[in-house]
Amino acid sequence: MENLIDKLLAEQKKLQTPVARFSKAHDNHELRTDLYKHLIPFEKPGKGEQYAFQVELDKCTGCKACVVACHTLNGLDEDEAWRDVGLLEGGNGFQQTVTTACHHCLDPECMNGCPVGAYEKEEDTGIVRHLDDQCIGCEYCVLKCPYDVPKYSHDRGIVRKCDMCHQRLADGEAPACVQACPTEAISIIKIDTAALRAENNFLPGAPNPTITNPTTRYIGRNVPTDATPADQSQLNPQSAHWPLALMLTLTQIGLGISAASLFGSTAHAIVGFLIFNAGMIAATLHLGKPLKAWRFFLGLKTSWLSREILAFSLLAPIPAILAALPFLPDFPFKELITIATKLALIPLSLGAIFTSVMIYQDTKRLTWNFPRTLPAFFLTFVSAAALFIHPALFLLIALAALAHEAHTLLPAREKTWSPHQHSALLRLRPLRKITTVRFITGGLAIILAFINPWLALPVLLTSELLSRHLFFRAVYAPKMPGGLHAN
Amino acid sequence: MPQLQDLIRQKSGPLTSELLLRPNDFGLGKLPRNLETDGTATSVCGFCSTGCQLNLHLREGEAVGLTPSTHYPVNLGMACPKGWEALSILDSDERATIPLLKEFGNKPAREVSWEHAAMTFSEKFKKIQATHGTDSVAFISTGQIATEEMAFLGAFAKFGMGVKHGDGNTRQCMATSVVAYKQAFGFDAPPYTYADFEESDVVILIGSNLAIAHPILYQRLARNKRNPEIIVIDPRVTETAQIATQHLQLKSKGDLPLLYALAHCIIRDERVDEEFVKNHTEGFEEFARFVRDYSPDSTREDTQIGRLQVEALAKLISDPSKRVSMWWTMGVNQSHEGVRTAQAIINLCLMTGNIGKPGTGPNSITGQCNAMGSRLFSNTTNLLGGHDFANPDHRSKVARILEIPTENIPTESSWAYDQIIDGIESGKIKGLWVIATNPAHSWINQGKFHEVRKKLEFLVVQDMYHTTETAKTADLLLPAAAWGEKSGTFINSERRIGTFKQARRAPGQALSDFRIIQLLAHAWGCGEMFEKWSSPSATFELMQELSEGQPCDITGVKGYQHLDDDGGIQWPFTSSMIRPGHDPKASKHDRDGSCYSRERRLFEDHQFFTPTGRAQFIFDPPAPLPEPTCNSYPFTLLTGRGTSAQWHTQSRTNKSAVLRKLYPDSLFLDIHPDDALALGIQDHEVVTVSSRRGSLEAQAHLTTSVRPAEVFLPMHEGTTNLLTFQSVDPHSRQPSYKACAVKVESCGPHR
Repeated sequence: MENLIDKLLAEQKKLQTPVARFSKAHDNHELRTDLYKHLIPFEKPGKGEQYAFQVELDKCTGCKACVVACHTLNGLDEDEAWRDVGLLEGGNGFQQTVTTACHHCLDPECMNGCPVGAYEKEEDTGIVRHLDDQCIGCEYCVLKCPYDVPKYSHDRGIVRKCDMCHQRLADGEAPACVQACPTEAISIIKIDTAALRAENNFLPGAPNPTITNPTTRYIGRNVPTDATPADQSQLNPQSAHWPLALMLTLTQIGLGISAASLFGSTAHAIVGFLIFNAGMIAATLHLGKPLKAWRFFLGLKTSWLSREILAFSLLAPIPAILAALPFLPDFPFKELITIATKLALIPLSLGAIFTSVMIYQDTKRLTWNFPRTLPAFFLTFVSAAALFIHPALFLLIALAALAHEAHTLLPAREKTWSPHQHSALLRLRPLRKITTVRFITGGLAIILAFINPWLALPVLLTSELLSRHLFFRAVYAPKMPGGLHAN
Repeated sequence: MPQLQDLIRQKSGPLTSELLLRPNDFGLGKLPRNLETDGTATSVCGFCSTGCQLNLHLREGEAVGLTPSTHYPVNLGMACPKGWEALSILDSDERATIPLLKEFGNKPAREVSWEHAAMTFSEKFKKIQATHGTDSVAFISTGQIATEEMAFLGAFAKFGMGVKHGDGNTRQCMATSVVAYKQAFGFDAPPYTYADFEESDVVILIGSNLAIAHPILYQRLARNKRNPEIIVIDPRVTETAQIATQHLQLKSKGDLPLLYALAHCIIRDERVDEEFVKNHTEGFEEFARFVRDYSPDSTREDTQIGRLQVEALAKLISDPSKRVSMWWTMGVNQSHEGVRTAQAIINLCLMTGNIGKPGTGPNSITGQCNAMGSRLFSNTTNLLGGHDFANPDHRSKVARILEIPTENIPTESSWAYDQIIDGIESGKIKGLWVIATNPAHSWINQGKFHEVRKKLEFLVVQDMYHTTETAKTADLLLPAAAWGEKSGTFINSERRIGTFKQARRAPGQALSDFRIIQLLAHAWGCGEMFEKWSSPSATFELMQELSEGQPCDITGVKGYQHLDDDGGIQWPFTSSMIRPGHDPKASKHDRDGSCYSRERRLFEDHQFFTPTGRAQFIFDPPAPLPEPTCNSYPFTLLTGRGTSAQWHTQSRTNKSAVLRKLYPDSLFLDIHPDDALALGIQDHEVVTVSSRRGSLEAQAHLTTSVRPAEVFLPMHEGTTNLLTFQSVDPHSRQPSYKACAVKVESCGPHR
């Protein structure tokens, strides 16, 4: 029996595949590439035109072969695909599966937000390309894209996204998803960009197209205007972005304490400096490729992230100088420099915090708009300053901050779905515990402030950090319609 | 200044080059690095019965990736998500790599050698047979292994081990069609070829969510240039119903009355194809008398379909200028009266002459990749090659070809799956061998299986994963090489035989099912009896010999290479079918200049396989539901496929990260908004669904795709079959998975 087992195991390890049938496919005219040529334009786009995906909704059965073909034919990671299929549901049993990839927008917000110019829109084709080796992994494009297209790869420390198989298109081959659709529901067309800009009837149930002017055309079936994504009411908290939450909390509180030092002691200047810089260090932890961040100036024209980096770079020396000055021996113009530094601190701080506000406001996410973000960020800054000026002042400001945050919970009672309601429900259901602790610590900090502000400081830090944590996790992030997934 | 430009804008580099695509010499278009190939080989996919061919990309003979074959007459360059991921699911930590034996009750299994495993298999089962009789050991086979493997398995178990009772998981999907065809046509013979999808004027899909369950067959329908009327008969607004031209959302299990009502209208209006019925069928008069009572008005309560809709459909089906094809899948098969329902479909085709012509036919779409192979060669219900155990001539023919004593062949067919389970319960079966199937998940009223399993003295499970629900309860687990790691043939829904190749190395000591059976036969002491079964290709030759003179005669096939060269070959295929000379209508020309059609349908000569050569009208009055709803259990639970990325008990599909992305990550219950409102259930709320047999938790999905008082659960989740009610069709003994009574309760808001 041993001999038999050895023989069977040996047979099992031997591959029984024929020797390479080199170019047999050519001899038989079995060329994969020739079969799908009718699904892509014969010629490149002309002036005022660009390539776009066209999806014939009436042909889509929701089989999702396009997703797996994208994954396979682009050699992507185990769980990576640049296309996804979701579901729109309407009254009277209306259902429509929606296949979606990058929309190669006329006004790509991913590109506008990128601080280092890691995106480019090809002039001749309109394809929005991501330059993988330029990317610093800041994920701002992930926040900027209304369609949830760029996806961050932790292993690589960069994002990647659909490039419309530009390498294939350049050689007259159809993109992977186009090749793989059994019903030829996906094709590449040329679109007139001016006409699209004039009237963009994108897709009911999808995010507002006026932000980026997506180019994908969904045709073939009338989607009722009340159609909603199957996953709309699913309460999935968003990514926590801990380094960003830390950065926002610590810089705002650090700057607040530094500001208090103008009326207080050297101790305030030192603690303010330390906390502020902890925040600056935390910020770099958010980057997948921090060593490439020196290119941030490339985005100054369009990106608030570039501007934030610039603003904080200009501001950074001030708290340090304020903390160091009392310990420095006399030198020429020391007094003048001290006064100038003190005078510069508050305007520069306000400016820097304003750039932080703008980063989120500019994503056009409704729950990160001015009324939500601006008071939250500035109240953190002011409350930290007030804590060390007078407990009564702190009481007023901290209560204002808590009231502002409590206000975001009110839409939970509304009857119809809205981004604000979604966010409120996130805070009250999956994130309930964190929301509770945020308010308890906020109240506790007020009480402790009347005993000793230094005692209140760690509690205030915790409370504000939780507030920022909720800011990120409870945001409603617009996206294309998705399928059913668990809460 | 190109360098400065590069420094500022890094357009190339290691990350960019990861996504670089390069051309190749195999007609595959540009490919990423991990798919680059130095050769290709073809294999028919091992998931469903569509039988798509995949082009394996080889590197030094080993498959590293795949793309769908472009010129195979089945799939024409396409595959569904499962096919695309057919290789990825082979790489998994959960693969069984060495035999595992549980010796002392609940102690964890320990690794043993193949020798020890084979000897234990033989000793344990022989001991059980000596104590409780030879019939006390049974096997449960599968539609997922090669035809050669299932033939060898059936032959070894029945002729070698003396096992009497063996059945397959094909009982759960195809038995109804088998019996329906056998009784009506004289042989289990699905008459169609996939080209019929493209050549129909009216395509009627009954209990078939083709777009999701068989996406590549839907592709063939989408290629139909005749602007066909697509009519879906289904209690749910499935994906297929969404894209149909007409949907009859009938009440669950209203199909048989509806089909009788259609026949009623056609006969009443004298729209019957009299000539066909007179010359080629039997039993029409009795049938005509029988359906007199089934007017659309009288069946309305059972079908919930209005008279006008029924009348219009009857007119369409009986329009002599239209080619009408009727297709069914599990909605019909998995029913307490599935055989008669399938035959009601057959009856409609017979009375309108919609058979044996392009774009027509009563066409059952099979489930598993080799359900058809199992129907002909598993040696369970039928003796090898579609023969009859009870027929002495058949027994001696098989004995002669296999060179075995005739006495070794049982004189009656096996118990069906449900009877084997009942046999375990009643203590008649003490040893069970389960091959490539997962009854601990898939058996109807799963809880009973778990109870019954405790009564088994020895359970052997042969599987590619050690983690399936069934493998985990095995006393002995035999690690099997999977599709891609072994060779053989599958037979698809349109009777097309295609090959697959050993293009991957199996992990650890896993062996192909074929090799495992070789080893077990040796250990059993009957190695000599199976000397002729030396390899899959030698076995294929035996199968050919066995098929001679049968409707499924495949004696004209000249080996595996012939199957590959001709894009698969449909049965029957005898050497006389290769006509000499040039035939302009033939789509395939053989190497010696002779030709035959690549896409052939049966019964073009209107000769059926019954003794009289005539097709039979068979019918019975609709039977009451085995478990009707009541006040305590007011909902009818429907089960079925969830998404195209999921396969049955998910033992394979949950091993692919990209497939996992494509289906819900928890269980959802489809419930009508009116019912949800009445029960105070909100969208996405966690609810409890209970039947008299068990209960589970699921999230409510409020959708009008189900009718009021009906709810739907996908079958893939391990808990769904805790609820289902074990009733079987009396003729096919196929379980009725799609109708049992349940109740739904809120678990409180958003836990």
